[in-house]
Amino acid sequence: MKTTILLCIGASLVYTTMALAADKGFVMDGTKRTITLPAPSVSLINGPGRDITSSYCNICHSLDYITTQQKFPEARWHAVVTKMVKTYGAPITEMNVDIITHYIATYYGTGK
Amino acid sequence: MKSQGISRRNFIKTVGITTALAATGTVPPLLYASERRLVTFPEKTELLLLTSRPPQLETPLKYFRELITPNEALFVRWHLADIPTSVDLATWRLVIHGNVEQQISLSMDDLKKFEKVVYTAVIQCAGNGRSFFNPPVFGGQWLNGAMGNVTWGGVRLKDILNKAGLKTGSMEVVFKGLDKAVLPATPNFLKSLPLDKALEDDIIVAYEMNGRELPMLNGFPVRLVVPGWYATYWVKSLSDIEVGVKPTDSFWVKTAYRIPDNPCGCVEPGTAPKKTVPINRMTTRSLLINPEDGSQLKSGQPVELMGVAFSGGYSIKEVLVSVDGGMNWRPARLGKDIGRYSWIQWFYPWQPAKPGNYHVMVRATNSIGESQPLDALWNPSGYLLNNIEKHNLIVT
Ligand code: HEC
Repeated sequence: MKTTILLCIGASLVYTTMALAADKGFVMDGTKRTITLPAPSVSLINGPGRDITSSYCNICHSLDYITTQQKFPEARWHAVVTKMVKTYGAPITEMNVDIITHYIATYYGTGK
Repeated sequence: MKSQGISRRNFIKTVGITTALAATGTVPPLLYASERRLVTFPEKTELLLLTSRPPQLETPLKYFRELITPNEALFVRWHLADIPTSVDLATWRLVIHGNVEQQISLSMDDLKKFEKVVYTAVIQCAGNGRSFFNPPVFGGQWLNGAMGNVTWGGVRLKDILNKAGLKTGSMEVVFKGLDKAVLPATPNFLKSLPLDKALEDDIIVAYEMNGRELPMLNGFPVRLVVPGWYATYWVKSLSDIEVGVKPTDSFWVKTAYRIPDNPCGCVEPGTAPKKTVPINRMTTRSLLINPEDGSQLKSGQPVELMGVAFSGGYSIKEVLVSVDGGMNWRPARLGKDIGRYSWIQWFYPWQPAKPGNYHVMVRATNSIGESQPLDALWNPSGYLLNNIEKHNLIVT
């Protein structure tokens, strides 16, 4: 439990919203150089499966990985979501893979 | 982020928090596929947003009107979201280990004691232009802005490897940066070069871009520069060099960034290659930069078309321009040649006589005869794009 929470705080510090003070875009603290990234905020189109998709597909990267793709049919999206699970270790059950695939193909793909 | 074994229950929590965070952001939402907006990231001017976490940003074409791409405008491409956002040079070290006489650990001061090498080289993402693939392929839908021409300053990789001392049986060199995967199950990013390639004179560990420190998003404090080869090898925030006695088994080498094993690196559109090899040298390209595709011009008024041309390490010998859709071709004037890894500018004075739609095409050839195909070649990962582009200029 503790590990997870620390992990999340770590992530929030890195991606916190902050106006950049320096023109240079980075801050020096002694010999340490730091930048602050703007937080991503991509909201997916409303529809069945959207919440599951928003949660799982946002763990490792922002949701614009979905929204900036070309229009692909459901079978191609299924292969990509399966790649997320098999190659990158996304913890998504088969049932959720199907829900997510269907949602993305409907709203960001070519449908069937 | 150091994390080990997240249980399913904890994992759901993580998701919840991450989503909540994302909702309070500063990068406005994207609504439609392939829409592009300008965003500002640290140390960067306004660039076109591809993805925000990890950042993938591309350079608007107008910056390529200059021979050298400014640091602020150079594209950004990370794979894994836990990217370095803070580096302390007091503690940062570049470690060289593996099959070497002695492991060494170099500070920035140590690094700068090696002989300095400076040259200009094109950096280009393997998937630059992927959005033009037909049929389309998955992956970052780059336009042509995942490239730039930068003067790199650094030290020879060879000198560093020799300092550590290569032991017999060395086969390849593996490069890792400070970026990490978000979940432990995701393979961390690394790239490898065969030993003979790694020992080439021109490969450097760069600590300068255009005479200044690297922006954090381009790999501060040092990145590998493999001139002539695609940027996937130019490992950012390089921190770990390992000399290996056998080929690495990493996903990023064995599965990703591979091209069909044939002279064109291509297959019949929509099919899979039988055999693949790691992507390597860049194909020859030329681009029209100004006026941009779709621009309106006045008939009878002289304009100068200009653009850039480059290839994977061989000088551009000739750039031909057609303003009539490929029927007639004339040589463009080439700008100053500042080295075989740099791009060269081309210029073509033109005075459209009458109104109409003009199809402008450009074709470069390098010193070993490599040129550009009329129709785009295809491969499933969307790499190597270099067809002759057809631009539309409207004369009124
Ligand atoms: C376990 C981490 C993880 C999760 C969870 C995850 N992805 Fe990915 N995804 C990755 C990585 C790593 C990449 C490669 C990133 C790169 O090269 O820029 C990637 C890349 C992609 C790409 C680009 C195409 C490609 O093959 O590289 C798409 C599209 C994508 N993800 C969609 C999704 C969708 C949809 C989901 C939700 C089902 C999802 N991802 C969940 C890790 C993950």
